Amino acid sequence: MAEIKETLNPKPAVIAVTDGPAIPHKKDVGLFTAWRVSFIGAIAIIAYLAIFNRDPYWEILQFLPDGILVTFQVTVEAIILALIIGLFTGLGRISKNRVINGIASLYVEVIRGIPLLVQLFYIYFALGRVVNLPAIASAVIAMAVCYGAYMGEIFRAGIESIPHGQMEAARSLGMSTGQAMRHVILPQAFKTILPPVGNEFVALLKDSSLVSILAVSDLLRRGREFASETFTYFETYTMVALVYLVITLVLSKLVSIMEERISVD
Amino acid sequence: MSTNAGNPIVQIRNVYKYFGTLKALDNVSMDVHDGEKVVIIGPSGSGKSTLLRSINQLEKIDYGSIVVDGYKVHDDNTDINKVREEVGMVFQSFNVFPHKTVLDNLNLAQIVVRKRSKKEATEISMELLKKVGITDKIDQYPGKLSGGQQQRVAIARALAMKPKIMLFDEPTSALDPEMIGEVLDVMRNLAREGMTMIVVSHEMGFAREVADRIIFMDYGAIIEEGTPEHFFQNPTKDRTKLFLNQIL
Repeated sequence: MAEIKETLNPKPAVIAVTDGPAIPHKKDVGLFTAWRVSFIGAIAIIAYLAIFNRDPYWEILQFLPDGILVTFQVTVEAIILALIIGLFTGLGRISKNRVINGIASLYVEVIRGIPLLVQLFYIYFALGRVVNLPAIASAVIAMAVCYGAYMGEIFRAGIESIPHGQMEAARSLGMSTGQAMRHVILPQAFKTILPPVGNEFVALLKDSSLVSILAVSDLLRRGREFASETFTYFETYTMVALVYLVITLVLSKLVSIMEERISVD
Repeated sequence: MSTNAGNPIVQIRNVYKYFGTLKALDNVSMDVHDGEKVVIIGPSGSGKSTLLRSINQLEKIDYGSIVVDGYKVHDDNTDINKVREEVGMVFQSFNVFPHKTVLDNLNLAQIVVRKRSKKEATEISMELLKKVGITDKIDQYPGKLSGGQQQRVAIARALAMKPKIMLFDEPTSALDPEMIGEVLDVMRNLAREGMTMIVVSHEMGFAREVADRIIFMDYGAIIEEGTPEHFFQNPTKDRTKLFLNQIL
């Protein structure tokens, strides 16, 4: 019976497109995986250009590290804030309280419906009317508000992936909903949400290039500064693109290693 | 034995519960006295699990009253966590905490809810784990344990709260046959020690041996109740006879 059912209703094809470089899969053991080719290729091109075309590539390469640091700073700070916002949004989305649930859902819908670049401008200038924050702080807050909505959905899915019996068991031991969440549900949910959070981190790092329009000297803006002084636009953006590529390839590899470790447990 | 023990520790009166249009509990009334062992049987969908789960408000009833150890469970103003501290529950699917070691499974609620120190909690936990026959694997995660071992850990976890009543919701239904015995043994010992127990089960041998009273439910209502002797030898209702014929 089960067999017949299966042939009649084959599993629907799952189309999963992640917003980031292809996460290398454990099964891809060949030497010439897309990840290896692009990683080694990018490093080789950077090295070749910097060594054999010192002017301007070596100069560009020396100019960029400050920007890389800022890019990382914005990304890390924004992701931490986004995690906090996401936790409360996720809890709000599963709340039985209609008001809390409504606010959380509204936040997610509104944020997901507005392009990130528009949000960045909006929050940056809206914040500017009330408080005088440094550009980088405004940029971080804007990124976090945006990514918090996506993070909220990840938290919600993570919490809902824990079997309902866990909550029932915790509650029947006399724990409050909050205690059960904190000690039983969330620790288990964190494990399932860690890989998607890692993917969000990579995506956020790439999107952080948008903050370059807000007077934040990130990797992209440093490149633009260099290019506009030396008129080496093509050369500079080649280098900027390659550096972004190397960073995201390394990060996505780390995410996949983390994913494997978790699935082994 | 059930009539002379003073006030019942569980008092269920005229309880109705609906799932949409389905009447899950239909005017159910029953008492359970201190130290009594009650086994509830019936076909699946008869409302026996719903009744059990409404005793610690995992299901909220629509009408009627349930009073447990003086607490009005049906009343929204009652602090249900206080009731649940006194009522242990064992589930069909064990529901041990997979991210905690066996010992921490037992310690968690003792520390968080009962506010015991870690040392005190551990002492109680070790004693109970010994009692349910889990002597090694204390620092392992439940994933490494067999179903029978997990269920015994779950029983010990409930006992660690020092409850006055234990509810068992088909505790052996998810187990492989060779593991059912070890869980029933633990339950038998618990019964011998005088624990008040309400058990939903299909284990007729266990019911016959341990129960002071057997309750047969069908379509959300209590059809018949009585001692095991009455129940297995002279059931009076046709539906009871039909059910017993099917399963025995």
